[in-house]
Amino acid sequence: MRDVLRLSITLALVAIASAALLTGVHNVTEPVIQEREERDYLEALERFFPEIDQFETEKINGDTYDLVYDQAGEKLGVMATVKTQGYDGTITYNLAINTDAEIIGILVVSHTETPGIGDIITTDNFQEQFIGKSFEDPIEPGEDVDIVSGATLSTGAMISSIRRTLNTVGENFLDMERQAFEFEDLDDGFYRGTVDGTYGPLTVEVEFRDGRIQTIEIIEHNETEAYFVDAYPEIPQRIIEEQKLEVDVETGATLSAERIVSAVKNALEGAPEGENGGGDN
Amino acid sequence: MSANNPYLDDLSRGIIRENPVFRLLLGMCPVLGVTGYLINGLGMGLAAAAVLIASNVVIASLKNFIPPQVRIPCFIVVIATFVTVIEMLLQAFQPALYEALGVFVPLIVVNCVILGRAEAFASKKPVLRSLVDGIGVGLGFTLALGILALVREVFGHGTIMGPGPDSAILLFGEGFEPMALFGQPAGAFIALGLLLGITNVIFKKFNIK
Repeated sequence: MRDVLRLSITLALVAIASAALLTGVHNVTEPVIQEREERDYLEALERFFPEIDQFETEKINGDTYDLVYDQAGEKLGVMATVKTQGYDGTITYNLAINTDAEIIGILVVSHTETPGIGDIITTDNFQEQFIGKSFEDPIEPGEDVDIVSGATLSTGAMISSIRRTLNTVGENFLDMERQAFEFEDLDDGFYRGTVDGTYGPLTVEVEFRDGRIQTIEIIEHNETEAYFVDAYPEIPQRIIEEQKLEVDVETGATLSAERIVSAVKNALEGAPEGENGGGDN
Repeated sequence: MSANNPYLDDLSRGIIRENPVFRLLLGMCPVLGVTGYLINGLGMGLAAAAVLIASNVVIASLKNFIPPQVRIPCFIVVIATFVTVIEMLLQAFQPALYEALGVFVPLIVVNCVILGRAEAFASKKPVLRSLVDGIGVGLGFTLALGILALVREVFGHGTIMGPGPDSAILLFGEGFEPMALFGQPAGAFIALGLLLGITNVIFKKFNIK
């Protein structure tokens, strides 16, 4: 018994000494690291907006948005600093957007994606496809930007995060408005729509009656179940309550939430399947 | 002379007779992983050497205090502490090197050269001799990484002190087509094998055992 005590106390003492030393070194290095990060940050701002004179910082949903002005006080654009979940850990990047809501630059600040695979997000090849894309563009894989095969999760996460960031910046800082998707004049019936998810298709069935979306059912999905519960039934409820597709998709499963919205849109763009629906359900 | 002076003997043993890379083949993970460029190889060697020297000294001075049953966990805590210290210092003062070494810095914790010296030497010998031993083995490790990295950089990239355009010196002019194989991880095995062969011949010739 005394032996066990002696062993544990020795180990504890070694661990305490180690923790004390680490705390000390951390206190010395932390300000230096932070100062350098701040300097890199200012350098990024200057690279994207050479005429920068001053900027003000705003926070939305934990991400940082710097509104950049030139000497005359004219707005030059916005640099967003956004964190998003990659394949393995958090990706932090800067997205520079000019006053026409066009992307003028991307800089990945930090990431822990797999070397040689997911770190393709740091390459010019991948980033260049976003330059010049604007608020009006879909920024949708397969439409106007490409997912890199082999690095589907890393590049897919970047694409949808960039789309969301551009959206946020456009709506909040650049007075842009997304044109609402109109569906009041549709015929009554059941509509089906499918979109591609990361692991396979996601299909919804929408019941439309009396000028309103009545129900939204998921017919098939291949999303990660643990996340999907955050998006469903929450997102269909929001759509039905607000009777519009431009609902807030910020959930624990933003990607799945966006897919449900696109699937509903895809459904309402097509023809109704019939009065009764629910064929193989 | 070296036979009479234990300190000189400790120092030279780690560099030559028991060089961790060329003679003992210990701690090969960073040896193969980060030796694409000379600057990375030397940086990795020095980082590991710093951890080795510090842990050797601390373990030698704690050897009477640590009960033998828990010595390995204690050694690992000591080593991990110094690795984390080095990691934070690198991140603060050598960010480019920190980026280049990446995951290999935290992996110094499990480098068997360091635990090997703690177990085989520092936990039995006086503090000063452990310090000298740490310096010797650390220098030997750095030297080996440096040589391997130099060979790989010269043949694999045709530069010295790369990567990057500002500091790199092009050895063979613009027309040189580098042997990309040496820049790849597989090339590290081949380069290491060739170097081991050469050092074995040298050691045999000078009858060093």
